Amino acid sequence: MHGIFYDPVHDEMVVPVALAGAVLTLRGGTTGGEAPIRVLQGPKTELVQPDTLYVDVRHDEMIVDSGDDAVLVFARTASGDTPPLRRLKGSHTKIRNPYGLTIDSTRDLIFVANRTETGETRESTDGILVFNRTDDGDVAPRAVIAGPRTGILKIRQIVIDEPRGQLFVTVKNNVEFYDVEAGRFTPWNPERTGFIGVWDATDDGDVPPRGVIMGPASGLIWPAGVAINPDTHEVYTIDSVGNALFIFEMPEFFFRKPAPPAPGAGASSGR
Amino acid sequence: MLSRSMFAVVAVLGATAVAWPPANPSLPMADLGRMSEMSLLDIERENGCVDDGGGDGVLRVERAGTLAAPAGGAGAAADPAGAAWPPTWASTPMRGGDVPPARVVSDPYPILHSVAVDTKNERVFVSDPNRHAIWSYDRRAASRATEAVRPLTGIRGPATGMMFVAAVTVDPERQEVYSVDNDIGDRLMVFPYEATGNVRPKRVLQVPHQAWGISISRERDELAVTVEGAREVVIYRREAKGNDPPVRVVRGPKTGLGDPHGVFLDGVNRELVVANHGNQGGRQPVPGDQPRRRGGPLDAGRGTFTGGRFEEPSLTVYPADARGDVAPLRRIQGKRTGLNWPMAIAVDRKNDEVAVANNGDGSIRVYRRTDTGDVAPVRTLKGPRTGIVGPMGVDIDAVNDELWVSNYGDHTALVFARTAAGDVAPKRILRNAPAGSPTVGFGNPGAVAYDSKRDEILVPN
Repeated sequence: MHGIFYDPVHDEMVVPVALAGAVLTLRGGTTGGEAPIRVLQGPKTELVQPDTLYVDVRHDEMIVDSGDDAVLVFARTASGDTPPLRRLKGSHTKIRNPYGLTIDSTRDLIFVANRTETGETRESTDGILVFNRTDDGDVAPRAVIAGPRTGILKIRQIVIDEPRGQLFVTVKNNVEFYDVEAGRFTPWNPERTGFIGVWDATDDGDVPPRGVIMGPASGLIWPAGVAINPDTHEVYTIDSVGNALFIFEMPEFFFRKPAPPAPGAGASSGR
Repeated sequence: MLSRSMFAVVAVLGATAVAWPPANPSLPMADLGRMSEMSLLDIERENGCVDDGGGDGVLRVERAGTLAAPAGGAGAAADPAGAAWPPTWASTPMRGGDVPPARVVSDPYPILHSVAVDTKNERVFVSDPNRHAIWSYDRRAASRATEAVRPLTGIRGPATGMMFVAAVTVDPERQEVYSVDNDIGDRLMVFPYEATGNVRPKRVLQVPHQAWGISISRERDELAVTVEGAREVVIYRREAKGNDPPVRVVRGPKTGLGDPHGVFLDGVNRELVVANHGNQGGRQPVPGDQPRRRGGPLDAGRGTFTGGRFEEPSLTVYPADARGDVAPLRRIQGKRTGLNWPMAIAVDRKNDEVAVANNGDGSIRVYRRTDTGDVAPVRTLKGPRTGIVGPMGVDIDAVNDELWVSNYGDHTALVFARTAAGDVAPKRILRNAPAGSPTVGFGNPGAVAYDSKRDEILVPN
C-alpha cells in the first residue's frame, strides 16, 4: 500500500488496496482482522489500481488515484460499486501515475504529486499539479510546481498544513538505477539522497522548496511518506530503503500564524 | 464472508512506542531507543551499503540556514557538467536543512522473509527485506537460550543489487542461492553459496515488477517466478540472465491466479503449484504467454477493465508446461481450507503433501498434494507454543523429517518435526536477534498518517 488517511472528525482510517482495485474504510483504532466499515470497489468506481487518496472532511468528499492516470472524486461515504462524482483525466490534466494527493478545502484546491519518471532516465518532469477543487474532466492544471530547481525526482506523498498554506512533500530524489554492464550495482544513489520539501500552496513553476530536510544527519535515504502534527511541530516520514520511521521536530516549518480553521475543516492539516 | 486478503497491514505506532505486532505489545524498547541516537545512513555506510567514499558526495545542508554543497560534492558527482544540483539550491535560503531526527523507529535486526533448506550441503538460507540481505546458517544451528545465532554468510551491500528482497531458494547441486526483488528492484539475483559481504551476483535477471516467489525445478532446468499485480507466473530457463525473455507465461482469467505469491515448480509430478491471495485488480490480465512488462522485449499491453474484486485465497495447480490462459488442474479453495494470506509453499514429493505459510492466521497448513476443492488441511500448526508469528516462509526437509518456518513477525526461524500438528513447541529455534527483540514490521513502507485522537502514527506496508 502506498497511501493512508486518518479522518479525525469521523474517527476513520481509509486505505487504498492497489492489487484489488478497492478503497477500504476502517474504524479508527482498528486492530487485527476487523472487517472494514465500507468497501468501495467494482467496475462503476473506475478504480484500477489505486495507490493514494485523501479525504476532504469539509466537503464530505474523497479523492482517489484510479491507478489509471486519473484522479476520481467520490462522496466520502461512497461504498460498493459506486461511480465517482467527478474525475480529472485526460491529456490536458497532465496527470500520470499520482503517488500523493491532498486537498486545501479553504482555498478549494487539489494537489497531485505527479510521477512522470519511468526509471529509464535519470531526470524527470515529476511535479505537483494544482487543480481547482471542483474541476471535472480533461482540464489543465491551474499551476504546476516542477522543474530542475524544485529538485523533484520520484515524488511520493504530499500533505497540506491548511491553516498555514504549506505543502509537505516527500521526494526520493533517485531512480532505481542498476546497470550490470556499466558496473553500477548500488541500488540507491548516495549522491542524491531523498528529502522532504516544503512549498507554499500558492507556489507555481520551477521554484525551490522553502524548507527542506535532507542530508546525512537526517538519515533519510528514500523518504516515501509524510505526515505532520502542527500542534507539536513534528514532521513524520517513513523511509522505504531504511525501513524506518523518522520523527523530526521542526518549529521553523510552522512559524506562520495559522489561519482560523474553516467550518468543518477537521482534517485540514492531514491529521 | 470477507477474507483477510481484504485487509491492509498497518503498523500502528505510538508517538514513542512500538505496538506491532499487536499480539505482543509488551516487548522491550531498549534497542529501538538506541536507534534514536544513530543515523540510519551512517549504519548503512558502516555496513557497506552506501558507497559514497565517506559521505563527501552527499549534499550538505545546514540547519536553519542556507544550503552548502561541498566542492566536488553532490552536483559534481551527479552531473558531468559539474553544476551544483539541484540548481540554485546552494544560493537559496531555506528553512530546515540537515536536521537529525528527534526519534527513529526502526529494526536494526534482520526480518525474515523466506527460508530454503539444503540437506545435501547442510545449509539453510533466509532472505531479509529489512536489511536487504541473504543470510545462511548451518542447518543444525540453534539458539541454546535467548541468544542470536551467528550466520555463516551474509550477502549484503550495494554490489549485491538487492533491494526489497522477497523469496529465496537454493540449487544444492550447483551450490547457488537465488533471490528476487519485490516492489522495488525488479531483479532476480543468483549468488554462489560461499558469497558473503558486499559481493556482486553471479547472474542477474530482469523480472516483471512485483515479483514475489521463486522455485527452481532441477528436473526441468527451469525457474518459476510469481508476479502479484500482473497475476502471472513467469517461467525462465534456469540460467537465464540479463533481459532474457521467459520461455512461457501463465496468465489470464481462466487461470484463477489472484495476487500470486508462493510457487513450486514440481518437476517430479510435472506440476506447477501456486498460492494466491485472491486479489483481482481492476484490469483483467491479458490472456497469453508474453511478458507484460520488463523481463523481455514484448509488451502484452493493458487488459480489459473489469473492476477489482476480492476472491477467496487458493492453491492452484497447473501442468508444469502450462502456458497462457489455462484453467488449473486442481484448486484448493473455500472456507474449510482455512487459507488466509497464503505466502510461501513447499511441496513434499516424498510424502505427497504441500505445506503453506498461512500468514493471515499465523499458522502452517498442510494439505495432501492431490487435494482439490473446499478441503480441510490434514494438519495445522498453530498456537502460542509454536512461536509462529506472521509466517512468511516454509520449507520441508524430507531427509531429516523436519519442517522449517520463517517468521516475519519475530526474529526467528523455527524447526518442527515434519508431522507436528496443533499447538506444539518447535524442535529448534534459530534466532537472528536476542529473544524478545521487537519486530517493527516495516517492509518497503510507502506512506504515513497521524491519528490525532490516539496520538499514534499509522504506517501501511
